[in-house]
Amino acid sequence: MNSIFTWIIFLSLVVLVPPLCLGILRKTKARLQNRIGAPVWQPLFDLTKLVQKQETLSSTMCGVFRFSTVVGLATSLTLIWLVPWIPTKPWAPAADVFLVVYILALEKVFTMMGAMDSGSSFGAFGASREATLNMLVEPALCLSLVAPAILAGSTNLSTIFSTPAVANSSVVWALAGGALFLVSLVEFCRMPVDDPTTHLELTMIHEAMILEASAKNLLLLEYSQMLKMSLFWGLSVQCIMHAIPACARFSLVESVTSSVIGIFFLASLVGLLESLIVKLQWRKIPEFVAYVVTISLIAVVVAISGKLT
Amino acid sequence: MTFVPFLSPALCEQIVYSTAVVVGGLSLFASALKENFSDRVGSAAVAVFSMTVLVASVLTWGQTFSYQLPPPFVIGVFPLVLKVDDFTRLFVVLFSIVAFATAIFSPAYFKHLSNKVHKGQYWVAFSLFSLSLIAVVCSADAIGFLVFWEVMALSSAALVASDHVQKRTRKAALIYLGATRIAGGLLAGGFLWMYFLVRTWNFSSWDFSQPQTHWAALLILLGLLIKAGIWPFHLWLPYAYSAAPAPASALMSGFMSKVAMFAIIRILLFGHLNAVHIIWLAFALGSVTAFWGVLFALVQTQLKKLIAYSSIENMGLILMCIAFSLNASVNGHSLIASMALVAALMQCLNHGLFKSLLFLSAGAIEYSAQNLELEHLGGLAKRMPVTWTCMFIGALSLCSMPPLNGFPGKWLLYQSLFYDICVKSSFAEKGTAVLSIGLLAAIGAMAISALVKALAVTFLGNARTPNAANAHECSASMRFSQIFLTISCVVSGLFAQKIVSVIRHALSGATAQTADVHLQLPIFSIAAALTLLCCVLYFAFLRPAGSRQYITWDCGYGQTNAKAQVTADSFAQPSARIFRPILRYQNFSKIDGADRRHFPERINVETRIISLLETKVYAPLLAAITHSSKLIARLQAGSIHLYLLYVCSTLIVLLLLGVAL
Repeated sequence: MNSIFTWIIFLSLVVLVPPLCLGILRKTKARLQNRIGAPVWQPLFDLTKLVQKQETLSSTMCGVFRFSTVVGLATSLTLIWLVPWIPTKPWAPAADVFLVVYILALEKVFTMMGAMDSGSSFGAFGASREATLNMLVEPALCLSLVAPAILAGSTNLSTIFSTPAVANSSVVWALAGGALFLVSLVEFCRMPVDDPTTHLELTMIHEAMILEASAKNLLLLEYSQMLKMSLFWGLSVQCIMHAIPACARFSLVESVTSSVIGIFFLASLVGLLESLIVKLQWRKIPEFVAYVVTISLIAVVVAISGKLT
Repeated sequence: MTFVPFLSPALCEQIVYSTAVVVGGLSLFASALKENFSDRVGSAAVAVFSMTVLVASVLTWGQTFSYQLPPPFVIGVFPLVLKVDDFTRLFVVLFSIVAFATAIFSPAYFKHLSNKVHKGQYWVAFSLFSLSLIAVVCSADAIGFLVFWEVMALSSAALVASDHVQKRTRKAALIYLGATRIAGGLLAGGFLWMYFLVRTWNFSSWDFSQPQTHWAALLILLGLLIKAGIWPFHLWLPYAYSAAPAPASALMSGFMSKVAMFAIIRILLFGHLNAVHIIWLAFALGSVTAFWGVLFALVQTQLKKLIAYSSIENMGLILMCIAFSLNASVNGHSLIASMALVAALMQCLNHGLFKSLLFLSAGAIEYSAQNLELEHLGGLAKRMPVTWTCMFIGALSLCSMPPLNGFPGKWLLYQSLFYDICVKSSFAEKGTAVLSIGLLAAIGAMAISALVKALAVTFLGNARTPNAANAHECSASMRFSQIFLTISCVVSGLFAQKIVSVIRHALSGATAQTADVHLQLPIFSIAAALTLLCCVLYFAFLRPAGSRQYITWDCGYGQTNAKAQVTADSFAQPSARIFRPILRYQNFSKIDGADRRHFPERINVETRIISLLETKVYAPLLAAITHSSKLIARLQAGSIHLYLLYVCSTLIVLLLLGVAL
C-alpha cells in the first residue's frame, strides 16, 4: 500500500513539477515587470497544444534530428529515475555520479547533432556555443557532485544523499548546492549566460538549437529541458537541505514538501535573477563559469580537508 | 575461465606459426603478382592469419607457453623466444579484430588510389607489419622485442609512404621515420643498460625496483612514449596517420600505438618500477597529452588529422591510467592500482576498436567524396547511410557515451582517482586527483565538441562541393568492415562487465596484484531503459507521420546556400578563442568594396593556428641539426688531396700514440 502511494507521489511529481517550475519562473518575471503574466500552468497547456500541431521538418534533414529529440527525452526520463532529486523514490537504482554526468553529455551530443541536421547556421552556431559552454561547465558539474561524494566515500548518488550529515560538512553541501545551481544557469542557458526569451536568433544558444523543432518534436525537447531543470534544481535543493541541520529531523512528508517548495523557490529565484541582471557578453561568460568552477573546487578542497583530519 | 582445449597448445602454436610463414611467403610473392590479384591474395592472407590467431588464442586461453623459433630465426647467438600468456592474448585478440577489418577493407579502398599506390608493395608492407605486430607482443626477451619492433617501425613507415607521389606523404614518412629511429635508439640504449645491470635479456627477470635501474627505465619509457605519440613527441602522429592510407592508419592507431602501451605495462609495470619521479613525469605527460591532443583535435579541419589528434588524447589517457596505477602500487593501495591498470587495458582494447572504425569510415569518405577536408564535405548522411551510422556510433564510443565501449574505461579511471581521494594519502596527491577529475571532465566535453564538429560538418546539412554532392555509399566489403567494428564496439560496451573480469583474470596470471575490480555499473539496464524509452517515445509521438517538408528557416529569405552553413572553423571558433594563448589562434578578416559597410564586394576571412611546439622548439632544433651536419659534411668535400691528408695525419697521430705509449 505504502509503495503504491510513493509511486503515485513520484509519478505525479515527475509530471507536474517540471512544467510548474517553468510556470513559476515566468510568473515571477511577469510580476516583476508589472504584468499579470500567464497562469503558472501555462507550460503544461503549451505542451498539450503542441501534441495537436502538425510538425514541419526541413527538407535537408536526414533523420538524426527526429531521433535526437527522442533520445533527449529518453535520457532525461532515465536521469529523473536515477538521480535522487527528491527525497522519495519508489525504487532507487544505483546511480553513479560519473554515469549521470555522461548520460547528461549523451543528451547534449544528440541535441547538438540535431541542431546541425537542418544545415541551418543558427542551429550550428547554437550548437557551437553549447559545445563551448559544455566544455567549460563540465568540470564544475563533475566536481560539485564529487564533493559530497567524498564525504560519503562513495560515488553512488543514493548513498551520497542518504548519508547522515557529518559535523562540519554543511559548508561542503552548501557550496556544492550553490555550484550546482550556478551550473544549471549555464546548462539551461538562463540569464547571465543567455536570454531565453530573446528574439534575435544570432545571440541564442539553446533556443537556436531548437529553432527547427515544431509540434511533437518541440514537445519532446521542451519537456526534456523542463525535466532536467527540475532535476538540477532538485539536486541543489537536496544539497542545501543537507547543509541545514534542522532538515535532518524532517519526516518523509515534510522533506518531500520542503524539497518541492525549494525547487519552486529556486525557480522564482531564477526569475528574480533574470529580472535584475543583464545578459553577459559572450566573451565574459568564461569568467562567470570560472567562478562556478572555483566554487566547486573550494567545495572539494573543504571536503578533502575534512577527510584529512 | 578454464578451457578444455581440443587442440593442444603445441598444435596451436604450430598452426599459428605455419600460417605466419604462409602469410609472409604469400605476401612477398604477392608483390610479384598482377595488381588486382595481389590485392586478393594479400587481403585473404592477412584476414586468414588474423582469424587463425584469434581462434588459437581463444582456444588456448588460460595456458602459458613459450616457444623458441627454429634455427633460421636466430639473432647472432640469441634464439628468439616467443611467450604467450593471457595478458598477451588480450592484445592478440584486439590485433586480430582490427587486422581482420582492415584487411577486408583494403582492396576496395585502393580502387581510388589505383594509379598512385603500388598494391604489391603495400601488401608486402602490410603483412610484414601485421606479423611483426604479433611478434612484438609475443616477444619474451629484449633482443627479439627490439628486432620485431624495428621491423614493425620500418614496415609501418613503408605503409605511410604508400602514396609517395605526393610531397606531403614523403614528408610525413620522413618525419615518422625520424621519430621511430629516435624511439628505437632510446629503447636499444635502455635495453643494453638493463642487460649490463642484470645480465639477462629476459623481460620477466627484469626488476626496476632497484635505484640503479631507474635511468634505464627512463630511457625505455621515453622510447616507448615516442612511439605512442605522447606530448611533446606527438608531432609525427598527425602527419603519419593522415598521410597513410586509411586502413594502414587504422591498424597503426588501433593497434601499433597500443603496442607501446603494452610494452610499458609488460616491461615497466610488471617490472615493479617504483621511481616516483618517473611515475609522476609519466602522469604529467599523460595529462598534458590528453589535453593537448583534444584541444588540437578541436581545431583541425581535416578529418583524418582530427581523428589522429584524438588518438593522441586517448594515448594520454591510457598513460595517465598506467602512471596512476604505478603510483598507487608504490603507495601500497593495491585496489586502486589494479583499478587503474584495468582502466588502462579497457581503454587500450576499446580505443583500438573505435579508433580503427573511425579511420576506416574516414577512408570510406575519402573513397566516395575524394576529399577529407571538412570544408569540402557536408550532407553525406543521406548518401552514405551505413558509413554515417557506423561512424556516429564510433564517435559516440570515443566520447565515452554510456552504453558504448568507451565509457567503462573512463569510469574506472574516474573511480581510481576518486578512491585515491578517499583513502589515506597526502594532500598533494589528493589535490592532483581532484584536478585530474576536473581535467578529465573538461577533456571529455572537448572530445564531444571535436567529434560533433567533425561528424556534423561531414554528414549533416547540405553538400558543400559537387564531389560531396555526388558521393555514394562505399562498396560492400568496406561496409562489412565498418559494421563488423561497430558491432564489436557495441558488444564490448554492453559486455564490459565480462571483459573486466577477463582482464582481471589475465592480470592475475601476469602480476601478483589481483585486487577485486568490479564494474559496478548498470550498463545493461541503462541501455535497455534508453532503448525502450526511445522506442516508446518514437512510436507514441513521431511515428504517426504527416509532417510537412519545408526549407530550413533562414529569416524568411528563402532557401539557404550550402556555403552559408557553418564550417568546421567557425564551429570551433568560440572554443579556440578561449584557448588562444596555447593555440596562437588568430582571426583575420578583410572586407573590401566601394561601400564596404553595406555592399562589400570581397570578404576575406582567415583563421590561423600555430603549433608553438613545432615552430619554436622542433623547427630550431632541426635547423641546428641540419646546420651542424652541413659543417660535418665539409670534411667529406670529395677532394682526393684532402682524403690523402686525412690518411696521412691519422697515420702520424697513430704512430705518435704508439711512441708515446
